[in-house]
Amino acid sequence: MAKFEPVLLANVDNPDSHTLKVYEASGGYKAMKRALTEMTPVAVIDLVKSSNLRGRGGAGFPTGLKWSFLPKDHPGPIYMCINADESEPGTFNNRILMEEDPHQVIEGIIIGCFATRAQTAYIYLRYEYPLSYDRLQGAIDECYKAGYLGKNILGKEFSLDIYLHRGAAAYICGEETGLIESLEGKRAWPRIKPPFPAVEGVFRKPTVVNNIETMACVTQILARGADWFKSIGIPADPKNPRDPGSYGPKLYCLSGHVNKPGCYEAPLGITCRQLIDEFGGGVWKGRKAKAAIPGGISMGLLSEAELDTPLDFAGPGRVGCLGLGTAAVVVLDETVSMVDFLHNSCRFFAHESCGQCTPCREGTEWSLRMLDRIKAGKGRLRDLDLLLEIGDTIGIIPGTTICGLSDGAAWPIKNAIRKFRGEFEEYIKRTNPTGYMVTDAVDALPILAAH
Amino acid sequence: MPKVIVNGQEIELKAGEKLNGIQAAQRAGVDIPHYCWHAGLTVVASCRMCLVETGTRNAETGAITMVPKLVPACQTPATDNTIFITNSEKVQQARAMVEEDLLIDHPIDCPICDKAGECLLQDYHFEHGQDERRADIRPFTSRRREMGDTVTLFIDRCVMCTRCVRFTREISGSSELMVINRGSHEEIDVFPGYPLDNKLSGNVVDLCPVGALGDKDFLYQQRVWFMKKHPGICTGCSTGCSITVEENQDTVYRLKPRTNPHVNQWWMCDEGRYGYHYVHSDKRLTGAGKLEDSDYKNVEWSHIITDLDERLRKVRGLGVVLSPHLTVEEAYLLATYARSVDPNAMIVLGHVPVVGVDETFKNGFTIRAEKCPNRRGIEAIVLHYMPKVLTVDDLLAEIAAGRINAAWVTGGYKEPWIDESTAVQFEALDTLIVQDIFSSPLWERATYQLPGAVFAEREGSYVNYADRLQNAVWAVRPPAGVRVEASVYWQLLGRPGMYKARRVLTELAGEIPYFAAAAGAVSDVGVDLKVNLLAAKSEVVSAAVS
Amino acid sequence: MSTAEHVLTDEMIAEIKSYFPRYPTRQAVTLPALHIVNERLREVPLQAVVEIAELLGLAPAEVQDTLSFYGFFKQGAPHGEVRAWVCRSISCALRGGEEVLEHMCHVAGIEPGETTADGKLTLEFAECLGACDFAPCMLAGKTLHKDLTKETGEQFVKQVRGSR
Repeated sequence: MAKFEPVLLANVDNPDSHTLKVYEASGGYKAMKRALTEMTPVAVIDLVKSSNLRGRGGAGFPTGLKWSFLPKDHPGPIYMCINADESEPGTFNNRILMEEDPHQVIEGIIIGCFATRAQTAYIYLRYEYPLSYDRLQGAIDECYKAGYLGKNILGKEFSLDIYLHRGAAAYICGEETGLIESLEGKRAWPRIKPPFPAVEGVFRKPTVVNNIETMACVTQILARGADWFKSIGIPADPKNPRDPGSYGPKLYCLSGHVNKPGCYEAPLGITCRQLIDEFGGGVWKGRKAKAAIPGGISMGLLSEAELDTPLDFAGPGRVGCLGLGTAAVVVLDETVSMVDFLHNSCRFFAHESCGQCTPCREGTEWSLRMLDRIKAGKGRLRDLDLLLEIGDTIGIIPGTTICGLSDGAAWPIKNAIRKFRGEFEEYIKRTNPTGYMVTDAVDALPILAAH
Repeated sequence: MPKVIVNGQEIELKAGEKLNGIQAAQRAGVDIPHYCWHAGLTVVASCRMCLVETGTRNAETGAITMVPKLVPACQTPATDNTIFITNSEKVQQARAMVEEDLLIDHPIDCPICDKAGECLLQDYHFEHGQDERRADIRPFTSRRREMGDTVTLFIDRCVMCTRCVRFTREISGSSELMVINRGSHEEIDVFPGYPLDNKLSGNVVDLCPVGALGDKDFLYQQRVWFMKKHPGICTGCSTGCSITVEENQDTVYRLKPRTNPHVNQWWMCDEGRYGYHYVHSDKRLTGAGKLEDSDYKNVEWSHIITDLDERLRKVRGLGVVLSPHLTVEEAYLLATYARSVDPNAMIVLGHVPVVGVDETFKNGFTIRAEKCPNRRGIEAIVLHYMPKVLTVDDLLAEIAAGRINAAWVTGGYKEPWIDESTAVQFEALDTLIVQDIFSSPLWERATYQLPGAVFAEREGSYVNYADRLQNAVWAVRPPAGVRVEASVYWQLLGRPGMYKARRVLTELAGEIPYFAAAAGAVSDVGVDLKVNLLAAKSEVVSAAVS
Repeated sequence: MSTAEHVLTDEMIAEIKSYFPRYPTRQAVTLPALHIVNERLREVPLQAVVEIAELLGLAPAEVQDTLSFYGFFKQGAPHGEVRAWVCRSISCALRGGEEVLEHMCHVAGIEPGETTADGKLTLEFAECLGACDFAPCMLAGKTLHKDLTKETGEQFVKQVRGSR
């Protein structure tokens, strides 16, 4: 395929790319200035709507539509929260944007707050990104100095403050209402919806929560236009009036068993195999791929036969994955045991479950205990059916939980066992030859330390 | 009128009613199981036990559109044309899943857990749970940690419904309880050095759906299936919380609040909840006595009543002190009797104990400084016979002036209520009858000593601070040698048969306008007497005008 | 609860207060306050929780509730001078991260989560550090250590502890 000229990553290789000087040298903040001086907030929302930009944080919800959910004529204050909690295993594209091109993000935030009439934006930044913190704060300071933040920006009535708010190593703070609760100083238990954040968000005021990469896209849409954005990617399915399409450039993260792990920009819709071979230098050590995570571990697994799946918002779903997620591809080569993979996944979700609702709190813990027991050579074939039952019943999709963390916990279980059942059965039979056929409940392993 | 359809059954709600799915289903006689929802607390929808199927019915076409995913009934408003399905296979499977999840890590402590018999985890397991244990077996018993002086926590029995934490944040406003850790390691705890010590602390035990939180007062005292429950009224203060007295074989084991939206909602304070032990105090007075030759002779009740009646018909002037611990019926009967032996008998209001000031909590619940249940009811009785509310001081003046030479004083106070210097003033009487539960300087000077009953032994009504009249039934029989006040007055009046509070209330409601609203049936949340006072007032005004 | 010794210095209190204007509620300053204390004391002792609660107009239980959710803040004893987080999520695990952590713990003589006896080093496992392009990786203080191996991990442990 033709080499795609990066837009989101265009600046990152320039020396001092994180400074205002370098950013403006190649046209930075022109879009923001034009928006504030020549457009109305409603016009900006309409422009973003017309681009069909879908959020890059994992849910893929159309951004312009989300902004339009804010109540009209609300006396305010209205808040914008930028989700920089990036904790989905395999994902690091936000980190690169924040470290190497923070102004692209901030310009998008200023435009977004102008459009939504937010006067305060909180960037909820995970604690594990210290360089991002320094670079973002540096960029914010430069903006205040340049008059791009603070009171009456560019002499307009629009004022904006951006504050960095640091997390403390909890994955659930990446869930939009978990983020809001954490920002408010409480434990990050996601809220029940309705009310939705646009109506009642942080501090019970209308709030929009957007991802870092999404804000960078906003900047580019204002700079280059909605038509440019829609010229990239996969168009909406004409047979499906509800399909918003998969438009625009996407930052794909590639890691695991490849020769060149890294963050690569390509139009939405390249296939997994293309990403591995054309960007990632192919599977490492001359091996073959066994499976690949398509979009962060929550999305599940593609088998080797499914690697030609296009990585747009619709593709992974067609082969039984949860969706595109964060577009973070992790490659597993032929030597990887799927039991080890699933154990790693279950351990992650059990550790990160916020514990608020019963099916997730107990289901993720039960899954881990079963995987612990299987790995310890005391697995039963029946465990696979129980794991599948857990996978099929927990989640916001069936409606049994408050947020989507449990869907993320469920999909690796379902995909791994359904796509690699033979391997699991073989492992169990081999490691527990005398007990694999037991169907009665067995004793639990001694409780291991907290994790 | 909004119509809601529950399992195909249409029910009508009142206009403007804001109900959720659980409440709407209750109206249709359907119980949706739930742990974390409580009408008095914010909705969190975290237990996921109340998951149901929901949808809407098109008002014009009748077409039904169901939402594809399950929703918690507690967070689903029951608006016009909302459909709830609570018994489909999908719903049953979800319930079984939640129930199984909660049991995965639950210690099987039933044999040693207080909550057995009234435990939602038990009940729902039998009704909605899986048939077999499928999760790994882990035999263990719960760890325990103290929350404070009144409440203990069996940590591992907790199902993380967070009702208790929400209570301390939203109702008492004291925020002592917290959740610690994350995920399946979460536990309830208090901050070291800041125990659970607000005056409403006992309510968290009521809220706990399982045996995690325990009442230290009740711990290991009695199995719940042996206890009988009787609706009563707390007599600790003039708030008059509706309560349930739970007893077995005439021993009271605990008090619990009864739901009453007009008085206490779902709550009661610790003072009332744990302050019943005096019912079984070994200092309770038993055995009626008559003073003869400077010594008290034990007298049979039947004897003493005849004796009393004879004696009182010969007195010069009779005074009666109505304690604010008497029921309305008892006060009325005693006053009626007094006037029957002395048409000019002086009826006064007994001592009204006041301790501290009213204490109001975050949600408005108030513990009142007036530590008796029926001052308003007694005042109304007194006013029926006297031109104004007279007190013990007025009576003492009459005694000193020699116009009164006999007095019947009722007590029933938990705490000492009369001192030596006041008691001494009663010595001028020829006849002093004291009816009380604990000894006092007055009791030692009585001519007739009549041991009286406590709240748990009485049947009758009380009027609280807000003019609400509420009924209580008796829960336990009094100790041997004690006769409940009402039965003594009933016999003195020569009324046939047994004392029945309901009949007396109807009678006095017909005679005394203040009680008119209580003439008919009184519901289990009582009746607001002011309702008829306004009507009565307007009658008086129109009578005056015409 | 003894309030004899105050743990928050004037400087910490001033910095916590400097966050008040950013939010409409004081409770929102909880995480910033916890970080301010944690960065200086390498732990958030119970007494600090009491003082933070007072500053923010909260009950100590409310602050502790939030603190304990994260598992990030140590209580009871400070963590080591260097706190090193070794990632154990999928991308790092696929490239040997768990073995590296195990080896580093073995060399340091501690389990994950523990601190060496000389107080110099705490080793922790982390969930995805977002540096999968350099897996296996480790975050120590503000430094991201990339492409960790058993050898470089062992070297790091020894260098922190000042041993050969």
